Amino acid sequence: MRGILLVFLCLLPITAGGQIVIDKPLSQRLTGYDIDVTLDPVKHTLNGMMNAWWVNHSSKPVGEAMMHMYLNAFSSSQSTFASGGRWSAAGDDGWGWVKISSMKDGMGNDLSGSYGYVSPDDGNVNDKTVLRVVLPEPVAPGDTLVLKIDFVSKLPSPIQRTGYNEDFHFVAQWFPKFGVYETAGMRQREADGWNCHQFHPNSEFYSNHSVYNVSVTLPTEFVTGSGGKLMEETDLGGGLKKVIWRAEDIVDFAWTAWPGYKVVTRKWNNVDITLLTCKMGLSKAENHLDAVVYALEYLAARVGPYPWPHLTFVDPPLSGSGAGGMEYTTLFTTMGGGAVPVFLKMPEMVTVHEFGHAYFMGIMASNEFEEPWLDEGVNSYWEQRIMDHYYGGGYGLVQLPFLKMSDTDQGRLTYISSPSRAIASNDLPSWMYPHGTYSMMSYNKAATWLHTLQGIIGDETMDNVFREYYNRWAFRHPSGRDFISVVNDVVKSEHGDRFGENMNWFFEQVLYGKGECDYRVSGITNYKIRSYSGVVDGDSVTYTRGDRRSDTLYISRISIERLGDIMLPVDILIRFDNGKEVLETWDGKASYRDFEYTGSSKVIWAKLDPLDRIDMDVNRINNSWTLEPDRTAARRMLNKFVLLMQMMISVFTL
Amino acid sequence: MSLFKTLKNGAAAAASSYKLILLIWVTTLVLTLAVGYPLRSFLNMIFGNSMAVERLNDGFDLGITGDLGKSFGGLIASVSAGTMLIGLVGFFIMTFFAGGLFRRFSLAWGGLKVSDFLRTSAGNFIPFLKIALLLMLIIGAYTFILTGIPIIAGLIVSGSPGQTGNIIYGLFVIWALGLPVWLFVADASRRWIAATGSRKVFRALGAGFRALRMRFWHSYLTVLAVVLINAVFILALMWLAGTSTPEKGITVFLFFLATQALFIIRLFMKAWRYASVCEAVK
Repeated sequence: MRGILLVFLCLLPITAGGQIVIDKPLSQRLTGYDIDVTLDPVKHTLNGMMNAWWVNHSSKPVGEAMMHMYLNAFSSSQSTFASGGRWSAAGDDGWGWVKISSMKDGMGNDLSGSYGYVSPDDGNVNDKTVLRVVLPEPVAPGDTLVLKIDFVSKLPSPIQRTGYNEDFHFVAQWFPKFGVYETAGMRQREADGWNCHQFHPNSEFYSNHSVYNVSVTLPTEFVTGSGGKLMEETDLGGGLKKVIWRAEDIVDFAWTAWPGYKVVTRKWNNVDITLLTCKMGLSKAENHLDAVVYALEYLAARVGPYPWPHLTFVDPPLSGSGAGGMEYTTLFTTMGGGAVPVFLKMPEMVTVHEFGHAYFMGIMASNEFEEPWLDEGVNSYWEQRIMDHYYGGGYGLVQLPFLKMSDTDQGRLTYISSPSRAIASNDLPSWMYPHGTYSMMSYNKAATWLHTLQGIIGDETMDNVFREYYNRWAFRHPSGRDFISVVNDVVKSEHGDRFGENMNWFFEQVLYGKGECDYRVSGITNYKIRSYSGVVDGDSVTYTRGDRRSDTLYISRISIERLGDIMLPVDILIRFDNGKEVLETWDGKASYRDFEYTGSSKVIWAKLDPLDRIDMDVNRINNSWTLEPDRTAARRMLNKFVLLMQMMISVFTL
Repeated sequence: MSLFKTLKNGAAAAASSYKLILLIWVTTLVLTLAVGYPLRSFLNMIFGNSMAVERLNDGFDLGITGDLGKSFGGLIASVSAGTMLIGLVGFFIMTFFAGGLFRRFSLAWGGLKVSDFLRTSAGNFIPFLKIALLLMLIIGAYTFILTGIPIIAGLIVSGSPGQTGNIIYGLFVIWALGLPVWLFVADASRRWIAATGSRKVFRALGAGFRALRMRFWHSYLTVLAVVLINAVFILALMWLAGTSTPEKGITVFLFFLATQALFIIRLFMKAWRYASVCEAVK
């Protein structure tokens, strides 16, 4: 073990201790990788070696290591990722895999016979995406395990997140990578152990913040980009070059190489932003760069600083579109800007979303496999806020004079339109969501209840929740319970007991429950009173109808009902025919509630949740009731329909 | 006859046929309202006493579609079916009235009573329908050859529409410049039928092509000029209608009057094309 420690100490200056990109370590840096590979652009393989190290930060010796071998998901149509026809190779050259040709520990012990594949999630014997390495000697607490691995990676085709198409290469999940060794108490875990999931169709991210030194040899005509900072690019002669990158405190390292890339750069504060795009995408390059700057600015102001001085993103060509919309912290991919009309902000939305993962999963390195809502849901929530803040005057996704849609509504629409929205709770692991509900639940339901939470506790408190979340959990591994704990603490400190002892009642319903939220105004009635004695508008009044014909008194009643299981506090705005408005608040717990008023004015309308703060409400049509329905919009739409049809028959006939 | 005089005479002929054009307008209005009114009632029924309809005040907010639930599916199905119905019936109606209009524009003395207009419309309907279908088929094939095939080929060869983008734009311009040729042939053929009383469609098409060949540039430029002016007018009208959001009852009514007045002008402009072609081949 002393030998292992010696190797660690030798490596320390060049890896963990070396501050090249960032002034001081942002994370514990429990893992690191020095990788040297050569890209064969004809065979689409990466040949090379890697020194990987892991520090045992637990209080007990650890006798095994677990590693992700993600590319093997593409080695068989029976893998957990590819089964069910989700992916199939484009011919014999399309299969992807990663093979270890040699593995030794830091002492030089050959570990060839000491490892094998396991499938902790589903027991699928055809899945070879998790490698278990039995160590000849347990790693003592505080010691470092070093593994020297020679490996060959073959990229798959068609591209699905990673792979190649002719000379376009997007290289992600491409090397053997440590799982996360969790200690008891971490993410509410009961005992120490590795957390290393298989490569699933919907999840792949949960890693330690690591240091990467990556060296790639490839033909000179390739334009490259990665999640690291370019340290050196050397012409080796013979049409080859060597590119060396270094990345610090990121959870994954991906890179790309394609001769057709056009490079566009911009600087924001101290961040060098690089966009790799294609010829067609150049027309939208500035839009993408604007979007990423908006996201940087917004998240830095409301969550926490973006700590790296570099950021690269890729708008892949059509041939590489399978790589689009992915996140690797300091490298992410967006999609098809050049082919999308200007009024539709879908490309900008993808850019904002994928960049946002630098925070939600990158900095706050939650477990995407087990709690996808904490990754995709939280990130979608922020993406929607950013899009609706910067674009279209609140309508961040579609903004035409006659058609519009906010990004927030897009997410909410997906949730409330799903017939399966109530079949599962929102806390399931990614692969456990039934009936294809993963995306709707993880992205959209979660974002919708986060907006609802914001509506309840207020914008400023919500921002403070995320500032505190960042302060506590940046460069660590928070769980959903940890996030809830932050919410409880911040809400308590800012609002006391206004919302109860804590906010668990909210999360029990929206996150851990399956219920729906639907409140409605079921009706308004105004009764004329024949005789009355009491107080009206603060004055004592005695009235009989015969006395004062011209000043009738009314009893007005507004009936509210809760149709769903979810109980949330709601506001009700009530308007009288004299222009007076009253704002009532209801805890929303009972099945129904009537509000009654006596006065000389009638109620003419009532609106539940007048500011549309409860996005969870699955039907907002029934949130209001008016005695004087406005038919103007319908009439105007009829006019436009008539004209459109007349024009159609006049234009499309000879 | 100069191009300007052809266009001027065409405009005068179209303007003097205002009764016929108003008849066509009323017919299209009745047809579209017959479908539109039930749709409006359906929309009112969906919203009931809700104030959520406010979200349609400033353009159609797609976010509301989820709240509409199954009713939205019903609304879309009704609008789609209504559009199909209007499209089909409208095609027959416009073809029918074209028969009367061409008869009116091919007469040397001008005037045509409404009853005669309807009679000649009915008499010319079948050959006009055949010509319309044939020319639409030809224009469809022309469009596919000039734009569809290059797009498909470009995608297959380069894998990206961007690689062939400029070529496609160029081909689209060529397509647009070629369109007046087919419109002229359609109009001249129908004029021949209206003038001669013959029912022979292919002879009419031959006459149309002959008329084009005899005075190509005059004929082509006549239709090109009218089509360009029509296109600009249509785009402006659609933009105006799309962006206008009258909020009060009276402004909605005024909006209706304005859009219908503009549509009547559009019908005059279409009739102007017919009349100009008739002038050009005189």
